[in-house]
Amino acid sequence: MPLLKEETHTQQSRLAEYCKTGVFPELTGVIEDNLHHYRRLVFNIGIDTIETAYPITYRFLPNEIWDKLVYDFYAKHKCQTPQVWRMPLEFYEYCVEKNIQAELNIPFLNDLLYFEWLELEMHTMEDVPYPSFNVNGDSVNDVLALNPEHKLVKFAYPVHILAPTELEGKAGDYFLLMYREKENGRVQCMDVSILYAYILEQLQNGVNIQAILTEADTLFQINNFEMLKEHALIFINDLQQRQFILGSLTS
Amino acid sequence: MQLKNNKHIGIGFRKDFSEELLESTVLKPAFIELAPENWIGMGGYWKKQLDKAAEKFPITCHGLSLSIGSPDDLDLDFLYKIKKFIKHYNVQIYSEHLSYAKCDNAHLYDLLPIPFRKDAVKHIVARIKQVQDILEMPLAIENVSYYTPVAAEMDEATFISEIVNESGCNMLLDVNNVYVNSFNHKYNAKEFITKLPLDKVSYIHMAGHEQISDTVIIDTHGEAVIEKVFELFEYTTALLKPVPVLLERDFNIPELEELQTEITRMETIVSKTWKKEHAIA
Repeated sequence: MPLLKEETHTQQSRLAEYCKTGVFPELTGVIEDNLHHYRRLVFNIGIDTIETAYPITYRFLPNEIWDKLVYDFYAKHKCQTPQVWRMPLEFYEYCVEKNIQAELNIPFLNDLLYFEWLELEMHTMEDVPYPSFNVNGDSVNDVLALNPEHKLVKFAYPVHILAPTELEGKAGDYFLLMYREKENGRVQCMDVSILYAYILEQLQNGVNIQAILTEADTLFQINNFEMLKEHALIFINDLQQRQFILGSLTS
Repeated sequence: MQLKNNKHIGIGFRKDFSEELLESTVLKPAFIELAPENWIGMGGYWKKQLDKAAEKFPITCHGLSLSIGSPDDLDLDFLYKIKKFIKHYNVQIYSEHLSYAKCDNAHLYDLLPIPFRKDAVKHIVARIKQVQDILEMPLAIENVSYYTPVAAEMDEATFISEIVNESGCNMLLDVNNVYVNSFNHKYNAKEFITKLPLDKVSYIHMAGHEQISDTVIIDTHGEAVIEKVFELFEYTTALLKPVPVLLERDFNIPELEELQTEITRMETIVSKTWKKEHAIA
């Protein structure tokens, strides 16, 4: 049998609901003039957290649209994470689920929000153990060890390159490699072509460069293996300089 | 918690000034306090900062989202994460607010006032015992600031005392919260303090606040501690055994010299009242 009586639970629920919606509740024995402080404090924490996580979207959307979006999110969504800094992910998921981008006729909204969330997530995510590797290996024939703290993402709009005001009519296939530098925790973004995204995806799968390029030469109908290899190795060398490719995997 | 050099005053570890604090020769807290919610599962730069801090200072933890007063079930997955974090960083004090921040399966990320009622006492006592059993350490419960009571059937001091005494938990006495509540609800702060289970106080919080009208003070942690709160602190410490004291400063962070001035003042006060003690048990 619950120790908390229904009446007490109801009072707590009504106050909590008021903080979410701002709709004045029926409560017993309260100082009515002071209730709004709770609504204000709760809402401010929410809105500050979301605005900090999505500064580009916040600046791009007109104030009245942004305010309504955040208000509706807080009123309708039940935040699940006990860690407030993870809550913006729920905001993004809410926008996707409710198809806000269609409602607002902003076809790149989901991509933009996801890009902004990824930057935050990449900066804060738990450390991932690095693989063991050999820096003196054969970068063409060995399986390469990658910085494990990375994400390769496909966007329908180049939200990682252009400002939101420049995105109209730019629908296409865009790929972003985002990774975290081990020593200083900085997040780096790298726009990559579909070919290089394919190479990265295959490297993730543990395929060596020789095999990847042999496949890519046919897949992308390049039919010029040596030229492909020459360009790909410049890309690989760049990733090595950036210490995204660590060396040859040794285990 | 064992503190070195007979120092008692710590400071909240905020990302806003973590780098400065770690390199500072000005700000010299005896320990740091952090909210585990803000650090659990965090890697990269901030994990490195936390690890550096843990090498330099003892750590206490002050939770935000356990929601001990919630009608909802305790989030045990989260509690086990807290336990792991506490063990990893050798945390000696874990405190939480006597409030609720989650209700009907929705987190609100702020501290709502629990109805001061007998059934709420029983409900919370059972939850505190469950938390302590899982953590295998005492929980310290903090008196929170509140701007309205809700459906109260008893006074605040009775509510707190019954929970602390029946659960066997410790108490985190927030002196600023007592002051804020005494102003907002028009009671005598010193009398209120004498009604609390002072033998269970294991930790003290001090902070600044903002008076926003003739009748309301908001507990902001964004201002310097005011004179009247220092006076109440001096009165309170004379009634207590030596315990760690935390200066909370969450917003509007001043120069570190200003924070150290507040710490020094608190240290001076407790060095008089607790002068016979050499360490905090």
